[in-house]
Amino acid sequence: MINPVFVPTSILFAGALLQIVLAGTLSRAAKGWLAFLIATIALLAVLAMMPAVIRGDILTATWFNWDTGIPLAYHVDGLSILFMLLGTGMGSAILLYSVGYMEEETEGITRFYVLMLLFIGGFVMLVCAANLLLVYFAWELIGLCSYFLVGFWYKQRAAADGSRKVLIITHLAGYGLLAASMLIYIRTGTFLWTDPAVATAFSSGIALLMIVAAMAKSVMYPLHTWIPEAMNAPTPVSALLHSACYVKAGAYLIARMYSFGPWHVAVGNGLLVIGCVTMLVGVVFAMAQTDLKRLLAFHTVSQLGYVVTGLALGTSLGVAAGLFYAASHALFKGTLFMCAGAVQRATGTRDITKLGGLCSRMPVTTYVWLAAAASIVGVPLTNGFVAKWLLFNAALDANQAVVVVVAWAVSLITTFSFLKATVSVFYGIPSHTLRAEEIHEAAPSVQIGMGITGALCLVFGFAPQLLIQPVIEPAVRSLGFGGQIGMTWLGVLTDFGSIGVTVGAAAGLVLAALFGVGAYHLVRAPVAAHAVAVFSGGEALPDDDTLGAVDFAEMADEAFEPVFALDPDRVLFPIWREIRDGAIRVRWFATAWLERLPWVTALVSAAVLFVAVSLL
Amino acid sequence: MDLIFVGFLAVLALGIGLYAVSIPQGGRAWWALAGAIVALVIAGALTSQSRTGTICLDLAELAGVALVWSHATREAVAAARAYLYSILPAIACMLIAFALMGSGGSRPGPAVESLVVCLVIVGFALKLGLIPFYFWLPAVAAAAAPMTTALIVSVVDIATFAELAAMRQASPWIFTEHTAVWMVIALLSMFGGALLALAQTELKRMLAFSTIADLGFLLLGLVAGGPAGLSGAWIGALSHALSKVILFGAVGLAEARIGRTVTLDTSGLGARLPLASAAFIVGALSFIGVPPGFGFVGYWRIYSAATQLGGLALIGALLVVAGLDLLCYARAIHRTWLGPPQLAVAGASPWLAPGVLTVLAVVTVLLGCYPSVLTQAVVPGLLAMAQ
Repeated sequence: MINPVFVPTSILFAGALLQIVLAGTLSRAAKGWLAFLIATIALLAVLAMMPAVIRGDILTATWFNWDTGIPLAYHVDGLSILFMLLGTGMGSAILLYSVGYMEEETEGITRFYVLMLLFIGGFVMLVCAANLLLVYFAWELIGLCSYFLVGFWYKQRAAADGSRKVLIITHLAGYGLLAASMLIYIRTGTFLWTDPAVATAFSSGIALLMIVAAMAKSVMYPLHTWIPEAMNAPTPVSALLHSACYVKAGAYLIARMYSFGPWHVAVGNGLLVIGCVTMLVGVVFAMAQTDLKRLLAFHTVSQLGYVVTGLALGTSLGVAAGLFYAASHALFKGTLFMCAGAVQRATGTRDITKLGGLCSRMPVTTYVWLAAAASIVGVPLTNGFVAKWLLFNAALDANQAVVVVVAWAVSLITTFSFLKATVSVFYGIPSHTLRAEEIHEAAPSVQIGMGITGALCLVFGFAPQLLIQPVIEPAVRSLGFGGQIGMTWLGVLTDFGSIGVTVGAAAGLVLAALFGVGAYHLVRAPVAAHAVAVFSGGEALPDDDTLGAVDFAEMADEAFEPVFALDPDRVLFPIWREIRDGAIRVRWFATAWLERLPWVTALVSAAVLFVAVSLL
Repeated sequence: MDLIFVGFLAVLALGIGLYAVSIPQGGRAWWALAGAIVALVIAGALTSQSRTGTICLDLAELAGVALVWSHATREAVAAARAYLYSILPAIACMLIAFALMGSGGSRPGPAVESLVVCLVIVGFALKLGLIPFYFWLPAVAAAAAPMTTALIVSVVDIATFAELAAMRQASPWIFTEHTAVWMVIALLSMFGGALLALAQTELKRMLAFSTIADLGFLLLGLVAGGPAGLSGAWIGALSHALSKVILFGAVGLAEARIGRTVTLDTSGLGARLPLASAAFIVGALSFIGVPPGFGFVGYWRIYSAATQLGGLALIGALLVVAGLDLLCYARAIHRTWLGPPQLAVAGASPWLAPGVLTVLAVVTVLLGCYPSVLTQAVVPGLLAMAQ
């Protein structure tokens, strides 16, 4: 009998195998429904573990020796449950979405669903494994799944190149985790991070090595450049990669490091700086995008900056903010990607300069997008607002006012960016190309998939305590932090001395809204007789001209020109060229000298060896 | 343990044979010599740590030379000559070393110890193609049929490496008293092999240089010793053999179908040859130690032993080489196998050769996912050896 803690992973891996076995007998849709069913059963298995974890129990089990002396050991606590819920929950919704989305694909369907199930299974294994070697194993398993999924359309050069970048950046950085695990093993004689001896071996150097690995997975600046290139994958892949099973792996590792041992204050502060810089750089790069998925990708970079910043604060409220943000981001970013995919499927493009006016043709997609966009921006009544609010409180509580200023500024720019995207895609006048096309709303399974996650953005915005009390609090406690997060409806915090802040901010918000309405009525321009583009400032434009996303992007391009110089690819590519040129120089030396006179080389080498052996 | 090793090599030889039935690698002479090599290697492994075993392996090396020669092209003859000129001095070095050591591999007096160690290093470096004695290996890989190279690299070389491992057990002083020199040879092979592999444009030559780099890794495991180092070297040698048959097999299949040498400019083979492409990708990722490939099972042990031996600096060096290997193989995968197809394939698709590659690739993943099935049989013996 399998221990219940192994059930989710076993179901997902067995499901992947079942997909292969039944590949020849099932239709495309049936494969999708089967994958959805498997992920849903895994989700139910995770939910079944929740009562024990809410009580504060830790579920541990060892199944068999994966390798000699390396047991397959699981340690399921509050943090594991949170990330398992993200993986299987978002995975289920995205697989449901995939049933309709992938129906038009003519080849590779079995490969797609096998990899998606392995991806989710690998993520669940990662967050449950008590053995650092198996943590690395799962870390690379999800890395490989994302590599193959990003390169799903491997006959297209862009997809193949994108997947290559994913593999190289994330795998090379992953060596940090491997080296850290080896150092812990050499110092303690065990790979089990649950062993108390690990705390004494966990140094700042080891923490930094792990952070490097986490930075690449969680797209922290400057190791984020793979993520925009990964946009050439099918949309369900982008949704899963961005929302749950990939970028959250780094956030999990950073959070889990609190279980390994105490952090040096410099490690936390360094991570805070990285988080804040990532927030800013991500959103500024997002402003300049006109490809809808690339725009969302850069927002992932920025939003993960919030998550890491919260985790780096090192207080119970900070960690709670980081974890709540991670969960919220999974919901709203997964939803946004699913909406973007629905738009791309319906129109054949994701270039926002060629889109517009889709609200009337795709109303459900529009409303779901609006809910998720409001959430990422931080509009009250959404989970994004609660997440930001929690983070601001945590930063103030930790005397990190700069974090609040940066996060607030990034939030403002995010609003501009989503205003551009929303208006350009769903409102205004459709482009000439679109006007000629027959555009339909997405398939029912697509609508349900994104509808569920979109609705949850509102549910957890209205009643965040539903997520905080059973999921976030046990996760925070499992990392050794005490205290309760008193949160009630709409994200109002009832302790940590924040009632005053909440009431003050709410009053400020109401005053600002009243001021805005008053100002609008006082100075509003005459209403134009025809539709006016949103960025014209109310000025009517000539009939043959409109302002659109390109104008906005160009403006951002010019305004943020100095920031674009921070693109790490400008450093990474020259490094690669230097390595390649160095290799060519070595080859020249080998062919011009060593291989031309092999006997001489061999004799001289033997003589040198003899001297070395005699002397050393 | 010897039986497991022999069984593993026999399975690989069977795979090579089935592949050669599907895609002919040579005439009767090729089959006779390939059969002789397999028989000699198995006999050598079963009588390891004896004069008979050494003689069998030396004869297998010479049969390997003849196998390359049997292709009879100008390049193949030149490569066979280079191989012969390496093997003969290697055999001579080993004979002199054995004579100086006496029976039982006992430690000679200080006056001759340096000479013995030097001869052992040069002898094995010539046989394995370690840097700076690597000249024959890339030439053989470029000129011979893929399964000829696979036999030499995956069967003969790995048996030779096993002979070196046996010497590590019988005469540990050769390693423990001269660790620095062995480490230099290992690091030179790792870095030199990885950089030279990165500079190649032809896939078979690239695979040859990456073999040299990987042998450097395995040698480091032997030098580090201890349970992790020895088991890492042993398991790494097995995964090396498995991966190289897959990699050379996939390239050979592609060359047979497109009728020309596979280079980095041969884009999009995956669209035409999906099974060979998948096998190459699995073999490559396993070879560079990416889980869940079998390669990781050997590599993590070597990393662990290296950390014990040289701390963060040595594991850092190993990971840099692993990174170079990744760059090299990622480029090969993406420029050769993925992307839009450029070339047409000729003739009907054989089923046996892709089938063999698929089975071996699946075995690679299965052994990586559940290595206990192999390691629980191998590691206890190695632990006893290490003590």
